[in-house]
Amino acid sequence: MTKLLKRGLDLIVRPERAEALLWARLRFEQRQDAREPLFNRYRGFARSIALRLRPWGQQANQKDAEQWAYSGLLEAIDSFDPLRGSPFPAYAKPRISGSVRDGFARSGELEAQWASRRKQESDRLRSLKRREPAEGEDPVEALGAIAACLAIGLILDGTRLMGGDDAPDPAPTAYDSLAWRQTHALLAREVERLSTSEATVIRQHYANGLSFAQVADLMGLSRGRISQLHSAALAKLRKRLSKEY
Amino acid sequence: MMAPSRLCDDQTFNELVAALESGAKDEIERTDRLLAEYPEDGRLHFLRGSMLVGIGRPIEALPALRKAVELAPDLVIARFQLGFFLLTSGEAAEALSVWGSLALLPAEHYLRLFVGGLTHLIRDEFADTVRLLKEGIAANSENPPLNRDMALIISQVEMLASGAKVDAGSDEISATSLILGQYSPRRTTH
Repeated sequence: MTKLLKRGLDLIVRPERAEALLWARLRFEQRQDAREPLFNRYRGFARSIALRLRPWGQQANQKDAEQWAYSGLLEAIDSFDPLRGSPFPAYAKPRISGSVRDGFARSGELEAQWASRRKQESDRLRSLKRREPAEGEDPVEALGAIAACLAIGLILDGTRLMGGDDAPDPAPTAYDSLAWRQTHALLAREVERLSTSEATVIRQHYANGLSFAQVADLMGLSRGRISQLHSAALAKLRKRLSKEY
Repeated sequence: MMAPSRLCDDQTFNELVAALESGAKDEIERTDRLLAEYPEDGRLHFLRGSMLVGIGRPIEALPALRKAVELAPDLVIARFQLGFFLLTSGEAAEALSVWGSLALLPAEHYLRLFVGGLTHLIRDEFADTVRLLKEGIAANSENPPLNRDMALIISQVEMLASGAKVDAGSDEISATSLILGQYSPRRTTH
C-alpha cells in the first residue's frame, strides 16, 4: 500500500502485525482493553453488512440493523480463535449477517423502526436521573440540569464530533449557524478532555450508536457503570459549556 | 544426586541453532521438544518467537518473545526484538518501556544506538534517527541481518525527509530482523 506518510513511525508499523498484537493481548493476556480497538477496526465492516441486509427502502431501520450488526461483531470478537488460520472477516461475516437477520425476524417493522431509538433515549434518561441532587439544590434546577444534559446528548447525536470515518457528511441545515458549529467544535474539544473511560462511552454511544449494554460489553464493565460514566461525562460537558456561554 | 539443569546445555542449544540455520523443516517441533524439557530457558522461547515471526505467525510470537524477556531479562537481543516487534505493531510507548534497560548498555553498543535512533524516529526527529542508526550499523559486526533492517529504515527516512512518497510498513523491514541466523548464544547477554 502506498500512501503519503506524515510520521516516522508509519514507516515501520505493519497493519497486520498491529492487529495480531490486539488478538494476542485479548487471547493470551486476557486484556479486555484490546476489544475496543478490535471493535473499532471492524465497525465499518459490520455496518456495511447491516446496510446491505436492510430491507430496501426502509431507511428508518438502519439504526436497528447497525445495532444488531454490532452485537454480532462483538460476539464474533469474543468467540474468534485467531490461531485457527481463517481471517477474522471470513469468520465474522456470517455471524454479523445472522445477527442482523435474526434482529429483523424478531422485530415487526414498526417496532423495529423505533425500538433502538427508544432504548437509547431511556438509557440516557435513566443514567441522568440516577444523579443525586446536590445538597440544597433546587428541584427545578436539578430538572434543568437533566434537560441540559439531554440537550447536549442531542447535539452529540447529530454530529461527527467523534470523527467516525464512515459517518455521513451532514448537509447544511437551518441550524448550521456559526454558533451551532462553534458549539460542536467546543464539545469535540471537551470530549477529548474527559477521562479515557468517559470519552469511550460518549464516543461509542453517540458517534458509533452502540447501546449502553453494548458499550458495557465492549469495555468489560457493568451496564450500571456505563450509565454512571455517561452521567458524569455529560455533567462535566454541561459545566464546561456553561462556562463558555 | 545433582538436580537437573533448568537450562538447556550450550552444546544442545548450539546444535539446535545450527540445524535451524541449515534450513531444518521441523524447526518449531524441535524447539518445542526442547522447550518441553527446559521450559524456563529464555533462549529457547526467543528462538521460538523468532521463528514464529519469520513464518508469519505473530499472534503466537508475541507471548513467546515476552516469555523470553521475562525468563532472561539480560538477553539483550530478545529485549531489543520484543521492543522492535511492539514498535512495528504501532505500540511505541510499550516498545520504549521494554527497551528501557538497554540504556544501561555501553554508549557505543549497537543495540543502544539502534534504540536511540528508533526513539528519534518515533518523535519524527529524522536527522538524529539517521545519525544514530548509521552509528549503530558501524558498531555492529555481529548481527548483519539487523544492519540490513536498519539500513532499510534509513533509506525510507531519507526519502520521507525529502518529501517523496514512501511505502508504509514495508514487508522487507523487520521480516529479516528476527531470522535465527543472527542469534548467537555467546554474545547476547550483558
